Amino acid sequence: MRIKSWIALTRVSIMDFMQFRLSAFVMLIGNIIYLIVIYNLWKAIYASVDNATINGMSFNDTMIYLVLASAQFTFMEAYLVWMMSRSIQSGKIVLDLLKPVPYSQYLLFGLEGGNICAFVVTFIPTFIIVEIITKGYIHLGINTLFYLVAATLGMLINFAIDFFVGTICLYTQSTWGINIMKEVVVLFLSGATVPLAFFPETLRKIVMFFPFHAIYNTPLTFLTKGPELSLAESFIMVGEQAAWVIVLILIGKIFWKLSERVITVNGG
Amino acid sequence: MEYVIELKNVDKEFKVLNRHEGLKGSFQDLFSRDYKIIKAVNDVSMNIKPGEIVGYLGPNGAGKSTTIKMMTGVLQPTRGEILVNGKVPYKNRTANAQNIGVVFGQRSQLWWSLPLIESFKLLKDIYNISDKDYKDMLTLYESLVDIKELYSKPVRQMSLGQRTLSDILAAFLHNPPIVFLDEPTIGLDVSMKAKIRNLIKALNKEKNTTVILTTHDMGDVDALCERIVIIDKGTMLYDNDIEHLRSFFGAYRTLLIKTKKHPEELTDDEKKAELDNVEAIVKEAFADKEFTFSSTDEGWCSILIDESQVRLMKVLNHIQEKIKVYDVRLEEISTESVIRKIYEDAENMKKAN
Repeated sequence: MRIKSWIALTRVSIMDFMQFRLSAFVMLIGNIIYLIVIYNLWKAIYASVDNATINGMSFNDTMIYLVLASAQFTFMEAYLVWMMSRSIQSGKIVLDLLKPVPYSQYLLFGLEGGNICAFVVTFIPTFIIVEIITKGYIHLGINTLFYLVAATLGMLINFAIDFFVGTICLYTQSTWGINIMKEVVVLFLSGATVPLAFFPETLRKIVMFFPFHAIYNTPLTFLTKGPELSLAESFIMVGEQAAWVIVLILIGKIFWKLSERVITVNGG
Repeated sequence: MEYVIELKNVDKEFKVLNRHEGLKGSFQDLFSRDYKIIKAVNDVSMNIKPGEIVGYLGPNGAGKSTTIKMMTGVLQPTRGEILVNGKVPYKNRTANAQNIGVVFGQRSQLWWSLPLIESFKLLKDIYNISDKDYKDMLTLYESLVDIKELYSKPVRQMSLGQRTLSDILAAFLHNPPIVFLDEPTIGLDVSMKAKIRNLIKALNKEKNTTVILTTHDMGDVDALCERIVIIDKGTMLYDNDIEHLRSFFGAYRTLLIKTKKHPEELTDDEKKAELDNVEAIVKEAFADKEFTFSSTDEGWCSILIDESQVRLMKVLNHIQEKIKVYDVRLEEISTESVIRKIYEDAENMKKAN
């Protein structure tokens, strides 16, 4: 059974994550430093305008959105492209390819455990702290369940994009530039660094045609605008994500299948 | 099914960019379409029966690993046919992976930061090994090597030898009909090498696993392989058993004789004189035969004799009649020297062409 391998891989990757407690801790500190920077940045932005709200978002709205976005980043970003390019360059990929589990699944579930752990270790505490400080800013209800679904789907979209970019490594043998570009594009167009509300009208419309906003903006909307969303709207948003997941995984699979032929395993 | 692995006229070509020298050359390369074709494997054919241990030998860069990667299904041959377990390996690689095990001496498939047993448990689940088979296999392992104490040790804390041992066990865990071992003894000490050879031999015997082994260590070959295949520059040079390999270059044996009581005390000139004396005696009696004479560091006279021309005992008897011989030693020509001769001959043939 495939599912048995999935569970086994997830289990091992959770244990693997636990081995590196210190790295989780460092990640948390890095995140705090990032938050201090954006806090001051946005404070300056809001101080420079007369209105208390910009594009319908108050300083508090923006901060909460960005805090949650950065917490989501810590559990969603698995640095898959780095991993793939490293194993292609070193030639280690040959061992992963010779597992009776398709490579993409082997990677996905081999990272899954890390995602789950980071979710528990960084996202949940951040969420609770935000709830306490803002005295219940985030509505708790069906929207939180929708968030969990949307975050999972967002993670799959992120994975599919990463897998696609990682596959390019088979041709280039190096992906430093491509990966940096991908990270900038994804983080910006997904609304992870700047809320999409701040984008100019036309850009925002264009962004909606791409899958990126479904990674960060969609899940976070369930948290920040929870009660305003009707059930129908929620289902449409999640449905759109699911459609992206299917499309992107399909594209990734086809691209991988075509690219497999160019594999030249390095070394020995 | 008579053969587990069949290769028929297999070629593998790589397209590589002709790189130019220097900084200017690097910029040229950015836009260059100047490719050359490198033939890594050239018209290789072989059939391997179930349960065989085949030593796949060749100098560095001969195309050994490329062939192995084609047999495992990672690489696709440019031309020719490969069947492994009756299937084309690259067509359904993921499903075929169930039926092979691999060890690449320089890499590990184990989870680096976790105790060994966790990697085994993972393999158990992804290869869908039943509880009973898994337990039986571990019992077998424990009877062959001291693996129990390694179970709880994280792989990153293991020595290279322990890690290689664990990797080999991991490759056999799902009891595949074929295991590929790519330089399994690289960088290991003598006792670890012996341990690993015994282990491979025992697993091959116990489970009738076909083993394809590449190595540069002739000790591995002598200890394990009944059959060897030699490849150089992508072309097959030899495919037969070891006994034939020795006779392939004539039935050479080395006769060593001691003509003085303490030959190690002789000066180089005196050693030379002793050797010349022996050479004269031998040549006198067997003028039409070929020998190679040399003297060892200890002052022994060494005579390389092709026994298909003249029996060694005859030579020895003749010498003994003429001069006093204090001690005698016989040496079989080693696999190592035969293989070296094959590599060198191939090299010379290339030059001659």
